[in-house]
Amino acid sequence: MGMDKQESVKKLFTAQSAKVDTNRGDAYYEALYAKCQERLDALKKLTPLNNRRDFMTTIEDEGLERRDFLKWASATTAMLMLPASFTPLVAEAATLMNRVPVIWIELSDCAGNSEALLRSDGPKIDEIILDIISLEFHETLQAASGHQAEKQMEEAMEHFKGKYLLFVEGAVPLGMDGQFGTIGAKGETFVDHLHRAAEGAAAVVAVGSCATYGGIPAAAPNPTDAVGVMDVVKGKPIINIPACPANPSNMVGVILHFVLTGSIPELDSLLRPKFAFGYRIHDNCERRAHFDAGEYVEEWGDEGAKNNFCLYKMGCKGPMTFNNCSIIRYNEGVNWPIGVGRGCIGCSEPDFWDKYAYERPMANANIKAPTGGVEKTVDQFGLGLLTAAGIGIGIHAAASAIAGKKEHEKEEA
Amino acid sequence: MAKDGYTKVKRMTPAMRIIHWVNVISMIVAVATGLYIAAPYYQTLIAEPAVDKYVMAWNRWGHFIVAIIFDVTSIIVAYLFFFSRFEKPYKKILPTGKNIKEFVEVFMNLITLNRRKNFDSSHSDSFNTVYFTIFHLLLAWMLFTGLQMYVHGLASGESSIGAWWPAMLHLVTDWTIPVSGWMVGSGPTPSIMDVRISHHITMWLIITWVVFHIYYQVWRTIFWQEGDIAIVVGGTKFVKSDEKK
Repeated sequence: MGMDKQESVKKLFTAQSAKVDTNRGDAYYEALYAKCQERLDALKKLTPLNNRRDFMTTIEDEGLERRDFLKWASATTAMLMLPASFTPLVAEAATLMNRVPVIWIELSDCAGNSEALLRSDGPKIDEIILDIISLEFHETLQAASGHQAEKQMEEAMEHFKGKYLLFVEGAVPLGMDGQFGTIGAKGETFVDHLHRAAEGAAAVVAVGSCATYGGIPAAAPNPTDAVGVMDVVKGKPIINIPACPANPSNMVGVILHFVLTGSIPELDSLLRPKFAFGYRIHDNCERRAHFDAGEYVEEWGDEGAKNNFCLYKMGCKGPMTFNNCSIIRYNEGVNWPIGVGRGCIGCSEPDFWDKYAYERPMANANIKAPTGGVEKTVDQFGLGLLTAAGIGIGIHAAASAIAGKKEHEKEEA
Repeated sequence: MAKDGYTKVKRMTPAMRIIHWVNVISMIVAVATGLYIAAPYYQTLIAEPAVDKYVMAWNRWGHFIVAIIFDVTSIIVAYLFFFSRFEKPYKKILPTGKNIKEFVEVFMNLITLNRRKNFDSSHSDSFNTVYFTIFHLLLAWMLFTGLQMYVHGLASGESSIGAWWPAMLHLVTDWTIPVSGWMVGSGPTPSIMDVRISHHITMWLIITWVVFHIYYQVWRTIFWQEGDIAIVVGGTKFVKSDEKK
């Protein structure tokens, strides 16, 4: 922990602004358009790595129409903060997704991010696209295991060296030389596994809050000394897609951006793509009017809850959470946490389990003192401080009244 | 007019007194609204439609207005700290032998219940100046952390007065995130919640500061018998003529 604090202080004054530039002018977009077109033409010449079926056939097999796909393409173009003229390019990029190899590894995790895109109520276009990307290796999904799986991974890494996107799900335990987590027939530690997979990757995508910041495995007291991918992997482009689970739309957004432009999207100071994490949940929340009005749910199921009042007093962390779920929601716009009447737990922010997810306003939540052990709410801590000061003053005042010397008494004496 | 044997000494200029009372009012408003923003402690009438009450919005508005007033008075105070023509407080916090001796003597006076008083109480002493400096440092921390939280709402990078405003706020306040994380104790990555926690804890430190400040000024007035409490109203106090050097 001590080292981390030093790192934090080093980052002082170097943090990037979170500013999102949504309009860069015609010249910029014309140049980008030409670049994207060139990139797509080059990709088209490559043979698909897998899923050689026609993309539209796959979509139609899932019961969706071309119209749904085009609606999705324009929504995704908007999500990526590109002008509407890019829609045909985005649609084309989606059909070329099977040309970009992806290796997906899992470390200290619950596979929740994989689950998020596998277990939706019906296949949405985002999920279908994630289904047809050229997933060369995925520990949970593949049939192979043991030595066979390891061989497969080595082959994929060798064959696509410098070209594949590495998706990492889960935190990296560093305690006990990484022995808290091992994988494969050779018992490789997670941290070695990550270093080996990252070496030949074009870019590393950390999916979910655990891979981004350490997430739940890193929650206090963090027994395994878990950290995020960006704390371990250096010298590679890293894109963080936090949230618990990460929204499949944002995963597709990042891959699409890579397919489309050959580069990673613009990132904020936490290496999160600005198109997804540039705005606060709060500023686009459907219950925002109730926040400003001071209309809060006071307890679950009360009159306020029935009237969709603001969940701030139930501990909603929308005001401190940067994510796009209030705009794009989950499962292609079906719903999202605040929509179902429970507060945001800030799952896309660092230390979310300890500092956001306690379902009470920050002032009423137990916070650890910097020394560790003591766990009190901020207000209890403050009132304790005030009480100590009050007792001190009381003793001093009483002692002064009894034994203190006033100037005129001195004169008389 | 001073009583026989007493000399009137000027201790605070009108500007200093105005700043003091502006700060008092600002702080009461800032604490009342800040506590509401942190955890709304009163309810609004359910029968009123949302557009009519706007309770949180008014609390935040009030909080921002007093914050801006605090900004202005802080800049003035910081200027006067070094360049005041009346008294330059920074001279009293420099760790010179004279200042350290005075600091210790004033502190001894406090803990010996005024049985020992070996310093000149006609001018602002080193102990009080250090104490006020701590206050202004706490206040500066509140301003930087407060503006950091404020700029989160300007994520578009635009504002009604131009893009320079959020850009400047990021430039000037983004360092509070790692520093707060360091103070509050964060994981590998500091979070903007650390800034909130730090802002809230600092409020309690300031309230505690105020409680002792009021006590100490009243205590001085009672035990020194030099009318210290009047300084902040009339700008002057009285010291015995033979004590004044």
